[in-house]
Amino acid sequence: MHKALIIDDERLARNELKKLLQDFPEVEVIGEAANANEGIEKIENLSPDLIFLDIQMPGKTGFDMLLELERAPHVIFTTAYDEFALKAFEVNALDYLMKPVEPKRLADALHKLQQAEEKELAASLAGVNRGMLSENDQVFVKDGERCWFVKLSDVRLFESVGNYAKVFFAGNKPLILKSLNALEDRLDERVFFRANRKHIVNLRMIDKVEPYFNGGLLLDLKGGEKIEVSRRQAVKFKEMMSL
Amino acid sequence: MLKKISRYWWCQIIGWSINIAISIFFVSTFGNPGKLYFTSLVLTCLLGLVITHIMRLNIHYLKVLEKPLRTQIFYLIVLTLIFSVLFGVTSETIDHAIGYNPERFQKFSRSKRLFLSSFNAMWLILFWNMIYYIYHYIERNRRQELDTFRLEAMVKSLELQTIKSHINPHFIFNALNSIRALVDENPERARTAITELSNILRSSMQAEKMETVPLQQELDIVQDYLALEHMRFEERLQIEMDINEDTLNQPIPPMMLQTLVENAIKHGISKQINGGLIRVTSDFKNNHHELVVQNSGKLNGYATSKEEGFGIKSTQDRLNLLYQGKAQFEIHDIEGGMVESRIIMPAMTISNLQTLK
Repeated sequence: MHKALIIDDERLARNELKKLLQDFPEVEVIGEAANANEGIEKIENLSPDLIFLDIQMPGKTGFDMLLELERAPHVIFTTAYDEFALKAFEVNALDYLMKPVEPKRLADALHKLQQAEEKELAASLAGVNRGMLSENDQVFVKDGERCWFVKLSDVRLFESVGNYAKVFFAGNKPLILKSLNALEDRLDERVFFRANRKHIVNLRMIDKVEPYFNGGLLLDLKGGEKIEVSRRQAVKFKEMMSL
Repeated sequence: MLKKISRYWWCQIIGWSINIAISIFFVSTFGNPGKLYFTSLVLTCLLGLVITHIMRLNIHYLKVLEKPLRTQIFYLIVLTLIFSVLFGVTSETIDHAIGYNPERFQKFSRSKRLFLSSFNAMWLILFWNMIYYIYHYIERNRRQELDTFRLEAMVKSLELQTIKSHINPHFIFNALNSIRALVDENPERARTAITELSNILRSSMQAEKMETVPLQQELDIVQDYLALEHMRFEERLQIEMDINEDTLNQPIPPMMLQTLVENAIKHGISKQINGGLIRVTSDFKNNHHELVVQNSGKLNGYATSKEEGFGIKSTQDRLNLLYQGKAQFEIHDIEGGMVESRIIMPAMTISNLQTLK
């Protein structure tokens, strides 16, 4: 059963989608929003696990809204016709529906979602700890024209750049508007370790550990990055690893 | 018959005739034409005509005129030298054959006479070549200019076509989506919406064929368009129309007002959470017909951005083309958080309108 939120600035468009979703008993529409700000509010209050998101909305676009979210739910984009958005979808393999929505396409999109969820469920047996971001949560990141939903388990490293954080995953390192401290508070400390003032590393992505000056440590990450662990944190690190 | 003689042959015939005329003039004024002088002169000029024609065949064969300037000059010199000698030697031989042997040349040896004859021929050939090359140089420039003009005109007409036929696909699909939602909610409204949408599509197709349409016809489309957008945006879109009825049969370029209204919605209303107002005004002012579209919002440099700049520029170009610079288009922010776009066209009087028909 999916709890879905519909975000679209047109009432008729929302109604039409709700009507189409009546044929899918596995989806329950728990709310709707007419713009990005309202959307953020509803996502926080209702914590849906699926959103249908229009791109072109007054104030903020759908992409802008996602960038502000700490944890991105599953998203199915909806758009009438927008060359720019279509390009973004195709480049980044995001799931999208074209309005007016074809019921068959909607069924496919929901089916794909079902499969993705089953995979996730198998991966995380532990119950979701609300408020904390788990490895299986995804964030939405954007770098110029490219954008991604990134699973936290795929992130090797967060690096502080002023008020932003650089997210290292696969061959990319786009920026997100979050401070390293804010991230540290929300990330699961069993997986993400604060190595020093500037870096948070994913413990599962460590290739090699070497001793370093002053009783510190040097971590070789799977992407080739070398991260220094300060002396104080090194004590904590050894403690954690010996467990 | 005369028409079939090409410009080239006319020049050849006239040119050599002038040469004969000038020679006769000088000889009879300053000296005494000897025996056989005229025969020799005419034969020499006929020979010159044949020789230069052979040279022209060579120029064509070598494609000299298509080569870069430097190579052309090189060929010009070489060809001039070769054909001067050919001309000189042949004309001297002919003179010899007919027995033309004026006194002033008798003191020279045969080889010296051949040289002198070639040297004289060189000036004629050089002069001929100069005229030939300069003519083609000018002709080619003129043709290039013409081609450029033709190309520009073509690009312009293509641009106009794309602008005229342009109805935003985003609008069409959104309208269809709204209509689908209305089928259950308000079937009557859904039916009228389908009529409105087909009116717009039909007009946008027909617009390609016309230069101008009466304002009334354009307003019908704009009203259908706004009705559909109102169906989408509901209370977020307010519409005000202020049309002077006397302007209804003024001719205007098709789909121009429609495009302005479309942009007003795209950049004005749809960007604002609480929506806004669109006001369309048509009136006479200072012997001109003014069409004004106002919308809530701010320009924010849209007018100068690349994409929008193109739309604005093409509106201007279209007006320039139709009214030869007598019409204006402007867009700017006005008081009260509104953007205004304004088209000012020469007003058509009743008699003008009748002649148009």
